[in-house]
Amino acid sequence: METVSLDAVARELAAAVGARHCITEPADLRTYESDGLAGVRVRPLVAVLPASTEEVAACLRVARAHGLPVVPRGSGTGLSGGALPVEGGLLVVLSRMNRILAVDLENRRVRVQPGVINLDVSKAIAPHGYYYAPDPSSQSICSIGGNIAENSGGAHCLKYGFTVNHVVALTVVLADGEVVELGAPASDPLGYDLVGAVVGSEGLVGIVTEAVVRVLRVPELTRTFFATFPSTDEAGACVSAIVAAGIVPAAVEMMDALAMEAIVKATGVVWPLDVGASLLMDVDGTRAEVEQTASAAVAIARRAGALEVRMPEDDAERALMWKGRKSAFAAMGRISPNYYVQDGVIPRSEIGDVLREIAEAGAREGLRVANVFHAGDGNLHPLVLFDARVPGEERRAEAVAGEILRICIRHGGSITGEHGVGSDKAAYMGELFGDADLETMNFVRCAFDPERSFNPGKVFPTPRLCGDVPGPYRAHATETSGAAGRG
Amino acid sequence: MKLVVRDVRAGGDGVLGTPAHAIVAPETLDEAAAALRGAAERGQSVAFLGGGTELGLGYPPRRVDLLLKTTRLARIVEHAPFDLVVEVEAGITLSMLQRALEPHGQRLALDPPHPELATVGGLVATNAFGPRRMRYGGLRDLIVGVSLLRADGVRVRGGGKVVKNVAGFDLPKLAVGSLGTLGMIATATFRLHPLPESATLLRVGGCDAAQVRRIARELLARQFEPAAFTAERTDGGYACAVLFEGFAQGVDDQAERFERLAADLGFATERPDDPGAAGLRDEAIRTRGDVRVRCSAPPAAFDLVERDVLAPLASALDEAAAVCYPAVGAAFLSAYLRDAERAAAAFARARAAVEALGGNLVLLDARDRDFARRVDVYGAVPGSFALMRNLKDRFDPSHRLNAGRFIGGL
Repeated sequence: METVSLDAVARELAAAVGARHCITEPADLRTYESDGLAGVRVRPLVAVLPASTEEVAACLRVARAHGLPVVPRGSGTGLSGGALPVEGGLLVVLSRMNRILAVDLENRRVRVQPGVINLDVSKAIAPHGYYYAPDPSSQSICSIGGNIAENSGGAHCLKYGFTVNHVVALTVVLADGEVVELGAPASDPLGYDLVGAVVGSEGLVGIVTEAVVRVLRVPELTRTFFATFPSTDEAGACVSAIVAAGIVPAAVEMMDALAMEAIVKATGVVWPLDVGASLLMDVDGTRAEVEQTASAAVAIARRAGALEVRMPEDDAERALMWKGRKSAFAAMGRISPNYYVQDGVIPRSEIGDVLREIAEAGAREGLRVANVFHAGDGNLHPLVLFDARVPGEERRAEAVAGEILRICIRHGGSITGEHGVGSDKAAYMGELFGDADLETMNFVRCAFDPERSFNPGKVFPTPRLCGDVPGPYRAHATETSGAAGRG
Repeated sequence: MKLVVRDVRAGGDGVLGTPAHAIVAPETLDEAAAALRGAAERGQSVAFLGGGTELGLGYPPRRVDLLLKTTRLARIVEHAPFDLVVEVEAGITLSMLQRALEPHGQRLALDPPHPELATVGGLVATNAFGPRRMRYGGLRDLIVGVSLLRADGVRVRGGGKVVKNVAGFDLPKLAVGSLGTLGMIATATFRLHPLPESATLLRVGGCDAAQVRRIARELLARQFEPAAFTAERTDGGYACAVLFEGFAQGVDDQAERFERLAADLGFATERPDDPGAAGLRDEAIRTRGDVRVRCSAPPAAFDLVERDVLAPLASALDEAAAVCYPAVGAAFLSAYLRDAERAAAAFARARAAVEALGGNLVLLDARDRDFARRVDVYGAVPGSFALMRNLKDRFDPSHRLNAGRFIGGL
């Protein structure tokens, strides 16, 4: 790559977004050196904060002209290093594009800019009895654009699906600055499911500048209960028995003793600490159905060996229970100076065995592992606890984290359920997928970004070229007739 | 390797009038891969055939040197009942799959027409759906993994066998609706749902389009959770059906509440005995006629779809019938051709109207070549077509798979 003149780049980018929103000072760039994977830091050459699709396009044209790699960033809460800057590259920060553009409740659609905070979508429509279903634990600070990049989940995706199930149309700026509309706001689009290809593409194909999301009517009733168990085995068996009874809970979260200890210390929840595990569960739907399924689920929990089953007295207590669960990662500071979180997925029926293997993997390195996770869909969040001040402990934690991913792969699962591969887990993609699988996924990337300007070094374990596409292309009649263009 | 190979002269087993020069019906995925490798070496064009229920969809392929029939690839690769996940080979029919799941109290919550013939691979390739999509989502919401045989015969996979999984690019989503143009769907993995303990179907007759829209709005406003809501178009009006599924207490309660809702709106409610597909009657309408059309439009535009699409098409065709899934925004019209020129003109006006609403109108059965040429199957390509072409170029660089059959001639 030719040497990039920072002055020239900065001048052109400042012209595109305004000097205030073009950041080149090393001290100012510090904020953007990492995302939620805070242990890894890279300073970009320059960061821009565009305010519109046109400004994003202008920035990408500048980057293209100077051969700069581009990394998109939302709120920077991602846990896989997906928004980790590339040295000498451009970081496009979408946080100023934070407007809700249109609400169409009869069609159950909301059009948003990518910097809109996840929870703000639900807040905007809550007065009408609607909400946006994907609910990552970071939902009060993470952005819809970041959710789209990572195909974020959350506790309630067990019943309602992930971000990809709730995004119907996108405006995307491609690497050359071209703006394309994908999907259809309120109907089945024609052709390939390009929205499905972009959601979860981890910033490797383009920059989303608008999204139309599907929103849901709030269910008539939600019942929550919290149950404690002697160990994660009984708690895991309880989850399997509830599912076997034909109940699809809205959410089933499991916390082991160590995670509960941290949560109790960090938040106001009053949970017993002499138990092995707990479940926090929501059942929702129509009133009559929920009354039936909730009491059935409670009976199953008791039969599965629950020590105690607790129902919240009111909405405030329910909110506190969920706040406890959603603060779990932040709470780890109360029991360990540092932690390393993983996001592997396993078949739900193997939770007990896998948790034992994970504990053993930790014990071999002399480290504790706390578990707080989406038990209903087998999406683990093992938190490997370590003290970075102790020489070698961080490296041992990374080794345990890597072994956890291998355990998940051995049990037929996945290395990530909702956090994404990013830079953190790219090295493990080659263990989950074969070379031809990765080559084929690279086809998708290359179809969008043949010069691989976006987010180099992420997702794929080794750099992959795009190569030329052989073969002549024949224009279709609808193109040559002028009914549609190739642009 | 056992292959069933025979020469096919013109007609018969071809696709949309393009004759197939040879047919293979591999018994294993390895045999299918070998057939595709062989075709790649010889530069042959390949088309795929499952149950043949959607053979009328798309443009005629430019060539079919080899027609690969998937119906003998009908194994259940893995069913994990505790995890509510199943992986199947592409050639299994939906009915066969449902029969295998039923003893476990489970099903794939997908109810397109012709379950006894339609193969899973074909359903994925055509993004088929039925009325229960309202509650359970479409194929893109149910599929969690796929393996494809690429144009070069290499088998690749995306997704996995756990429902929650964001590792790698989403090949399953790309396979859905791709009409066999990116690769042969070899296996697909789905999330399953428990069979409902109870189901009740209710009917309301004599509605106009505005009233159908009103009922759809009230179902949402009053927090009903129906499995399906259909509106069957009859002469001059609509007969609505709403299906509740789930645990008995909730189903009974919703059925009673719906009767009250209907009464509030001035309608009498009927409870027919059979809550199955016959009760919903959508399949009969969707599988008849020589002109079959799908209209996709925003749910709130239901009365405009009636006025500008369904009514004019019905009057330009013979014996028209339509069934709509108002909450999904889909309507299927079937009829017989009387005057091709007049019908084509009505079709063009209807398409313009629905495109103005942000929707689309697709001719689902293009076997009447004269009519299909007059109206175009898909209409104008979307603005993102260049990206679709790029995808096709990467997956199938010499455009040999179902060559030219998909939108824009991909």
